[in-house]
Amino acid sequence: MHGVRRSRESREAREARRQREQEELNTYLSLQEDILSRKKDKDWSKDAFDLTTRMLNKNPEFYTVWNYRRLILLNNIFRNSSPHEKIDILANELVMTISALKVHPKVYWIWNHRRWCLENIPEGGDDDDMQGWRKTCWKRELYLVEQMLDADPRNFHAWDYRRYVLSSMPIQRPETAELAYTTKKIESDFSNFSAWHQRTKVLPRLWESGKLDKAQSLQQEFVLVQNAMWADPDDQSVWLYHRWLIGSGDDYDSLTREIKGIHELLEEQPDSKCMFSPILATLNLTNACVSGCMETLVHYKRLLIRSHTSRLGPEGTQILREECLGLLKQLEELDPLRRQRYRDLGALRRRHCQ
Amino acid sequence: MSSELAIAQHIKYIQALGKQKDDLIYHKTAHLRMNAVYWGLTATCILGRPDALDREEMIAYVMSCWDDEAGGFGAHTGHDAHIHSTLSAIQIMVMQDALDRIDIERVTQFILSLQQPSGVFAGDAFGEVDTRFLYIAVNALALLGRLGDLDQEKTVEYVRQCRNYDGGFGRIVGSESHAGQVFVCTAALAILDRLDVIDEPTLAWWLAERQLPNGGLNGRPQKLEDVCYSFWALSALSVLRKLHWIDAAALTSFILSAQDMEVGGIADRPGNMADIFHTHFGIAGLSLVGYPGLVDLDPVFCMPASVIEKKGLRKGWEALPRQKV
Ligand SMILES: [Zn+2]
Repeated sequence: MHGVRRSRESREAREARRQREQEELNTYLSLQEDILSRKKDKDWSKDAFDLTTRMLNKNPEFYTVWNYRRLILLNNIFRNSSPHEKIDILANELVMTISALKVHPKVYWIWNHRRWCLENIPEGGDDDDMQGWRKTCWKRELYLVEQMLDADPRNFHAWDYRRYVLSSMPIQRPETAELAYTTKKIESDFSNFSAWHQRTKVLPRLWESGKLDKAQSLQQEFVLVQNAMWADPDDQSVWLYHRWLIGSGDDYDSLTREIKGIHELLEEQPDSKCMFSPILATLNLTNACVSGCMETLVHYKRLLIRSHTSRLGPEGTQILREECLGLLKQLEELDPLRRQRYRDLGALRRRHCQ
Repeated sequence: MSSELAIAQHIKYIQALGKQKDDLIYHKTAHLRMNAVYWGLTATCILGRPDALDREEMIAYVMSCWDDEAGGFGAHTGHDAHIHSTLSAIQIMVMQDALDRIDIERVTQFILSLQQPSGVFAGDAFGEVDTRFLYIAVNALALLGRLGDLDQEKTVEYVRQCRNYDGGFGRIVGSESHAGQVFVCTAALAILDRLDVIDEPTLAWWLAERQLPNGGLNGRPQKLEDVCYSFWALSALSVLRKLHWIDAAALTSFILSAQDMEVGGIADRPGNMADIFHTHFGIAGLSLVGYPGLVDLDPVFCMPASVIEKKGLRKGWEALPRQKV
């Protein structure tokens, strides 16, 4: 149970509620009994099918009833239907699950039933187009999932379903369309980590297929994420995506340029004045932004040391090591929840220096 | 703010759960009943009261959920077999030392039949796939002593494909990282002795970043804290031996503040309605961070550590030392 406020029910209130619910409870229990005994008897009739509709409207999490419904479809209804009728029946199923999803957007069973329906769409369609029905259905699925993501842009069920729909479309959409979709989502909310994540899945495919020039596209991505960083530097989504772009830090120019950029961002922060202050320990700041900047700096400087030692020279490497240690020391104070992690990293760093 | 774990109330709360058969909500949640029995039993064991629920009644209930057609256990009497309720049934029987009542050969075949060519597992014959089901299969087969029957390479390969650049794991290939999926993937890899698949420093960093200023943990970036995520993230951190990378005292007081001090039970967050799911995962999290007086929990199997040790299945995880009462 998530997000239900606690309310204290008095003995009288509970009794009154039970009285009220008694009729509903009786209906529910007799419906349940009827369905489970018909299922046991392998009753694949239309009557039984209608009973599952009634039950699933009352309780969309009753997975056994979803299973029974699919068995009735497979064992009776589909067998006695023309492809045209079958497509109507499946269209009905999809309508039914849309209304269920609007009330219960995170119920696995409903999403699962939708996917099952989609997989059962027969070939065929009007105008002799063998893919006609499937094209129509998939197009509608994409529209539905966009509505679901408009309502809750972080619903991972919807994102997973979206990826499923895209990968199984009868005619594949160009990947650039999906890139544009994530751009739209990100621009309406920089904090939508799910959309940033989707980008990390779409871009590599575009680079590998040569549809986008990797070097050029990477620079555009840095611009996009920098805008987000400056708009909301508290946002972890943005830092994570930035880290994905940097990757293992093989590109020396990008890495040093981004380190410089983060230093600039850090200096802009109102709390950054305390960074170099000896009384830092007494301030007990937990500014997510400053610690986000610093944590990222430590990571990137480590990458520099790891991948570009020869370019840095012994002196440059030593300076970076000292900087990392200094940042970790400050992080211990700025971000006390993760203090032990910074200590561990610092100890590791010190050992490497010897 | 509650500063202590209300053990007596929680036991009472768990004991009362099976006795609400005149409530509609009791019947509408029947699809979770077998899981709820496992959550309740594990919680009472960790609270040091393994006898709080009637053993014979529980075993009889589990057996009443056997789906003889499929060869697995359903979520409730008359419900279809599903891999999730099957694991809960096995876990209950192991904890009650009654595994011999189960047809181990048939359950093993049921579980193995759900593995897909990609290596992932389906929940049942209708084919919803998820790394949760993969972990469930690995956990159950280990408890049954039948891991040798599993195509481990294929299983591990699917988990590897679910790994993201942030070190975390998702539900299926392509999904974003989520603390719950990180738990199942990390625990599955731990059972299969394949932690080499994990990018340990990156994942441990991602997990440590889940802690929010109020001490609670969230499941994904930019989301709210929730008691159940304490367990998902803590379990994975224990496997990586990095539990000290979060502030245990802050997390402890967050979990305690989500208790219902009167009726018992723990909610997803302070002020909300308690339920058995969060009660169990809250107590499990407290055990891992060394809360005084609790019994050790195995974070990989999410069962009492002594039960797993007795079966010779303990992996190299590290919880925080138990504090003195
Ligand atoms: Zn929760």
